[in-house]
Amino acid sequence: MEKVKLPIGPQHPALKEPENFTITLDGERVIDVDIRIGYTHRGIEKLMESRTYTQNLYLVERICGICSYAHVVNFTQNVEEVLGIQIPKRAEYIRTLFLELERLHSHFLWLGVAGHEIGFDTLFMYTWQDREIVQDLLEMISGNRVNYAMNTIGGVRRDLSEEHRKKVLEGMDYLEKRAGYYKEVAINEKTILARAENVGILKPKDALKLSAVGPTVRASGITVDIRRDDPYASYIETPFEVITTDTCDVLGRVVVRVLEIFESIKIIRYLMEHLPSGEIVVKVSRKVQDGESISHTEAPRGEDFHYLRSNGTEKPERYKVRTPTLANLPAVVEMLKGTYLADVPIIVAAIDPCMGCMDRVLLLKHGKEKPGEIIDGDRLRKYGIKWYAERGWKS
Amino acid sequence: MTTTEELILQILEGLPVQVKRNRRIFISVPRNDLIKTVNILSNELNIQHLSTITARDTGSELEILYHFLLNGVVITIRTTCPKEDPTIDTIVDIFPGAVLYERELNDILGIVPKGHPDLKRLILPDDWVGGYPLRKDWKPPQESEE
Repeated sequence: MEKVKLPIGPQHPALKEPENFTITLDGERVIDVDIRIGYTHRGIEKLMESRTYTQNLYLVERICGICSYAHVVNFTQNVEEVLGIQIPKRAEYIRTLFLELERLHSHFLWLGVAGHEIGFDTLFMYTWQDREIVQDLLEMISGNRVNYAMNTIGGVRRDLSEEHRKKVLEGMDYLEKRAGYYKEVAINEKTILARAENVGILKPKDALKLSAVGPTVRASGITVDIRRDDPYASYIETPFEVITTDTCDVLGRVVVRVLEIFESIKIIRYLMEHLPSGEIVVKVSRKVQDGESISHTEAPRGEDFHYLRSNGTEKPERYKVRTPTLANLPAVVEMLKGTYLADVPIIVAAIDPCMGCMDRVLLLKHGKEKPGEIIDGDRLRKYGIKWYAERGWKS
Repeated sequence: MTTTEELILQILEGLPVQVKRNRRIFISVPRNDLIKTVNILSNELNIQHLSTITARDTGSELEILYHFLLNGVVITIRTTCPKEDPTIDTIVDIFPGAVLYERELNDILGIVPKGHPDLKRLILPDDWVGGYPLRKDWKPPQESEE
């Protein structure tokens, strides 16, 4: 049979975000894959060179709508390193708490997306409902469900009250019970086994060769975790295990993430029980002297890498970000080769790709006569209903 | 200092190494020695993970930083190329994980990795003619009037 080139994306029902896969097929078999990205490129690295460090705090957070906090932790760690300051211990604990809450909500979210990709939408509904527990905790402490704006250069912006501490611990009890259920489902449920076992194989030597990161490599039996290998925030004193499996398939990536949920709960409990008292922020200079710094964190999707070059002014000279999804793309190409076309969505979803971002407030331009206007979600909804009503649609 | 850091410093002895802090090691080499140095990291230290490649416009030339990871230690090779001849040898045959990072260098700073197997656009649009956005002398293209 003749080979067929099938373009998937940038706009396609199987994709959650715009990207393009050009898949070469021999019948149902995938022979080769070419990936084109950049459809949500926003030029953030260039923009950062013309913003002050304080402004950049909030810009960096908007690189991603799911693992936004990993980015802002990297940014603040880089600036603090060049400034040569040590943040208070309580601030380090609060940062670690948020990093792990973020991992929890991200892994619950991913488990649901994986379920959805294999037609198991009950799992999607369950996990997203449980994820709300984490979102409520994040909102309770920071005021936001996403983009928490917790960090500032020199510490954190909001403290944790005794009531917060109790609520977080209660939340962990509930989530641990639910995670126990998902563990049973992941190992025993026939729908998952049929679609995930021996699918999307990534051999350990290929995972290493292609410099893949995060749960993707840990499911190929490689013990790499930046939290343990290059400890930051308060990970050096926080006990946890690095989870790996050696099945090298999609099922392994499910198991690694489900078991990581338990480790995150363990870390959060430790943090809440050993939370030091004291200040949460130190005062810092607005200008950052000549220097450079590298910070990398273990984001939910893997190593998130940031580089800062400063020049003595209030603005960075160069800021570089490498997100874990980019690092995992060469590995995706490897996983897809030789599989069936029907398995493409779940294999791609198994690295937990994250290509864009989301925002609750939109800046709408009404043309030249009116300046930009900020519309909140409620007004935007009403505006939408009115817009469709005027065009004869019923809501 | 961990045993990994001791081992790295021992293997790299004689090279211009700078230890910035714990777990951060920098090596500065001229671009002609890049492949030789990358080979030392690959063969003698058995490093397999390339975190990413950073590049920046220093004003007079282009600086390129290759960040490798070994047991939590970030080893960075620093090299430069002149703006009149922005070429550098590819490291894709030694570190296949570099394939996208080198395309990114080409896209945003106009650095040409010689010998790259598939050098095409990565993040900018296919029909982009606006130059290299991360160069310091870059100006945004004029917005067209509606």
